[in-house]
Amino acid sequence: MTNIIYTKDLVKYFPVKSGLFGRKIGDVKAVDRVTISVRKEETLGLVGESGCGKTTLAKTLIRLYKPDAGQIFFDPEGKIPDTPLIQSHDGILEIAKIEGAKLRSLRRFMQIVYQNPTTSLNPRMLVKDIVAEPLIVQGICKGAEAEARVLEILEKVGLGREHLYRYPHEFSGGQKQRIAIARALITNPSFVILDEPTSSVDVSVRASLLELFKEMQKKMNLTYLFISHDLSIIEAISDRIAVMYLGKVVELAETKEIFNNPLHPYTQALFSAIPVPDPESKRKRILLPGEPPSPVNPPIGCRFHPRCLYAMEICKQVEPKLVEVRPKHLVACHLY
Amino acid sequence: MSNKPLSLEEQLKVNDLTVRFYTYEGIVKAVEKASLKIRKGETLGIVGETGSGKSVTALTILALTPSPGRVEDGNILFRKRDSSVIDILRMNEHQLLQIRGKEISMIFQEPNAALDPVCKVGEQITEAILAHRLREMVEKSIEVIKKEKDNEYDLWTRLETWTYKEMLNNPSDVRLKIIQKIPIIRDITKRRLRQVIRQEIVELLKLMEIPDPGRVIDAYPHELSGGMQQRIVIAIALACSPLLLIADEPTTNLDVTVQAQILDLINRLKEKFGSSIIYITHDMGVVAEISDRVAVMYAGSVVEVAPVKELFRNPLHPYTKGLLESIPRPGSPLKSIPGTVPNLVDPPSGCRFHPRCAYMMNKCKEIMPRLVKVSEDHYVACLLYEGESDD
Amino acid sequence: MIRWIKIEESPRLKETKFILNRIRENPLSLVGLAIVISFAVIAIFAHILAPPPPGRDPYIIPRAGYFPEPQPPSPEHAFGTTQGQYDLYYGIIWGTRAAYRIGVLVVAMSAFIGIAVGSLAGYYKGVIDEVLMRLTDIILAFPSLILAMALVVAFGPGLDSITLALILVGWPGYARLVRGEFLRISAEDFVEAAKTIGCSNLRIIIRHILPNAIFPLLVYASLDIGSIILVAAALSFLGLGPPEGYADWGQLISLSRNWITGTAANPFAYWHVYTIPGVFLFLFVMGWNLLGDALRDVLDPMLRRR
Repeated sequence: MTNIIYTKDLVKYFPVKSGLFGRKIGDVKAVDRVTISVRKEETLGLVGESGCGKTTLAKTLIRLYKPDAGQIFFDPEGKIPDTPLIQSHDGILEIAKIEGAKLRSLRRFMQIVYQNPTTSLNPRMLVKDIVAEPLIVQGICKGAEAEARVLEILEKVGLGREHLYRYPHEFSGGQKQRIAIARALITNPSFVILDEPTSSVDVSVRASLLELFKEMQKKMNLTYLFISHDLSIIEAISDRIAVMYLGKVVELAETKEIFNNPLHPYTQALFSAIPVPDPESKRKRILLPGEPPSPVNPPIGCRFHPRCLYAMEICKQVEPKLVEVRPKHLVACHLY
Repeated sequence: MSNKPLSLEEQLKVNDLTVRFYTYEGIVKAVEKASLKIRKGETLGIVGETGSGKSVTALTILALTPSPGRVEDGNILFRKRDSSVIDILRMNEHQLLQIRGKEISMIFQEPNAALDPVCKVGEQITEAILAHRLREMVEKSIEVIKKEKDNEYDLWTRLETWTYKEMLNNPSDVRLKIIQKIPIIRDITKRRLRQVIRQEIVELLKLMEIPDPGRVIDAYPHELSGGMQQRIVIAIALACSPLLLIADEPTTNLDVTVQAQILDLINRLKEKFGSSIIYITHDMGVVAEISDRVAVMYAGSVVEVAPVKELFRNPLHPYTKGLLESIPRPGSPLKSIPGTVPNLVDPPSGCRFHPRCAYMMNKCKEIMPRLVKVSEDHYVACLLYEGESDD
Repeated sequence: MIRWIKIEESPRLKETKFILNRIRENPLSLVGLAIVISFAVIAIFAHILAPPPPGRDPYIIPRAGYFPEPQPPSPEHAFGTTQGQYDLYYGIIWGTRAAYRIGVLVVAMSAFIGIAVGSLAGYYKGVIDEVLMRLTDIILAFPSLILAMALVVAFGPGLDSITLALILVGWPGYARLVRGEFLRISAEDFVEAAKTIGCSNLRIIIRHILPNAIFPLLVYASLDIGSIILVAAALSFLGLGPPEGYADWGQLISLSRNWITGTAANPFAYWHVYTIPGVFLFLFVMGWNLLGDALRDVLDPMLRRR
């Protein structure tokens, strides 16, 4: 199995400034030494509560943010081996530090669909121009050829010719999201980040969007990183799932495995906290004490220990590493 | 459900409520002939998508229809604490003040917006208590003074006792009013009242499972986390043990682990206070956990009402079926309802769901179905079930 | 034929119709629009309304003799004459054209500079923002009329100096406004989305942010034209304007300065010399202000609707 993107010890901090002269008083440790890989043509689900850094991790992966440390290897062909690399070779690029035109030319291979299509589409541009823009900017084609490709992708996502000359505000939430998907997919990318793409869409059309994602993945050989806090959606769409807590990946395993056998105490609590749409389920809920601490001053040792039901002495001092405790099941916890 | 009076076990009944918004783009028919009832001590979940009219209905129950909305038709019958039945839509503003907060209170989605940012948490809860429970608090203060016998001849204590008695018996007394205007005297003569209220707040915050209530009382809202803020909002809402609590998506903006805590809290508080709860949400999972009965709303109408287990086991309305099927379940194919939520300026004729309905018949385009009883406690507004039984 | 259908349902046309509809529903804005348009008609048809004597600069008002006392309206001089026998009617008509020239030129130029400075500051933030905004702060720190006066004195009196001075004084307001809009808009997802498809910064600024910042700019500009004309008139009144005899409202008012009190027998003997240019100036400024207010009402809810 080869990977499309691989990152080693990725770090992204946001400075916290305060006072009259904007003196730096600390860092929001949004992503703190994360090592993760996304396999070719898989859907990796990324779950976690708000503020755990899942969106930051995703945006750093496609270099919307510049990482503070660490490496990101990216290969549109998806030929990165599982073994760690040191530098760019064989078309596998180390993209953590590239800038300018070189970065811009890579953009056609990695795309993102945002949570809220109302804000992610320019309200003063026509649908035709929004969807065609990646083609023009990337210099792929323009004019009539671009229009033909726009029409082709719009039809694939379930829209048509009659929608070309309209502004985004004339569409419903689900349709807007389809426009955003069309824009993301028109350059034939290989890696697409879906940042809670269904959470601002009405419940009744949510499933049709998920269906669309699956269909496009098959047709265009896409690799997804799917961010969500809705576990039922993650479970329905993902091949593997990574759980994040306070800037760290605490557990990573295949979907079935992690749902049947969650190992990290946080994963267990998180999964049990999700309301189940079945009034007759007799599930025991694990109620976590307190709330997630601020990522400016995360707890020392294991970041979860102040809320953990199984916290031990060692948890307060040593930060656990992400290790494989069962086949293809990685956990960062001292219990294992 | 026609225009029937309130039966004894019922707390609130909404009959044929119609609310319209007069906007620039046209008349938004936000709520159309919606009918609901809530029994004493039960939790009614209202589910619906954006634009289903669930929030407008809830706000109208408090006679707080957002502008430019106007109630066109219908009535809202509510049984007060003294068992008298009133129609909320026909109350004047002064009568409403007696009901809001005391008999019916509300929790909003955004705790940030519900709390005053420049007021300490304690002051905000005090305000809620003073608005409706002043008498009870004053009586308690007199009790406190009676217990401290040795202060019998202290001038200040006597003045304080006198103040409290005047407040109870003759609140419009001129001397009392003068005393209340003098800054230092005012504070001294209410010393024990303040202590009693503070004690009450601490008790209330403990009930909300807030750790360290003493610190939280003197905190400003922004110093607290979202979950804590929502607990304060709930505390304010429950300060007067209302008969009916309306919760409009109170956990939507919270993290799931915190949402679990709040849901758990609401469930336990309900048992303690015995209030009826209207819980509005779009999350079928939350509904399944918290409700006794569920009302499903679509495009301004109530389309199905049933006990929660019955609804999940045996959904009748095609929309409810679609909604339940659209919940992703591993292993089963994803389903969704075709089409989109209609524009309420120009809603579909007849049954508003007919353009998206798989069982659409010709008459659905013309007749707006009414809620009919199909089995015990299970009502549905769909022409498929029309004529099976009429309530 | 196909083209035709497209125009029919063109969204831009629909939007324009929507704006026009809103303006139509607000009576005050209609008044403002009517005033501004009628002044524009006067300015455009100045040649026909007050034909200039051949072979001379049309902005120079023809005079009927050198008699100092203003003459009341008469068949030859519809609005009467000013001190020194300048024809008031001719001065008003050509003064309208001069006012439009100053107003439009100053607003266009200061908006252009303001957009350039404001968008750089608001988009790149950081050091560029600090430097550019402190520069605008320096200009904003002076009372604008005094600064404009000083600049005109430095450049030498005249209408061109006034225009230049007003541009130099006026652009910081636009820069501030544009910077604020840029800060707000560049935080929106669609700007980041533009980055993810590989748009260059210039393209993001021009294609994505600027079109979304244009409405507040439009409102500000239309309110600004009125006040610019007022300041220009004030400068001209103070003697910093064009040489005597130039068709300029400020100067016409300035020419009436000695005659406001009238004669001992009739205090309103020379009413026309100050009333007529004053009323025109007032109407012009009020028209633009009403239009600006109306635009704000019309465009704001539309932004909210999105």
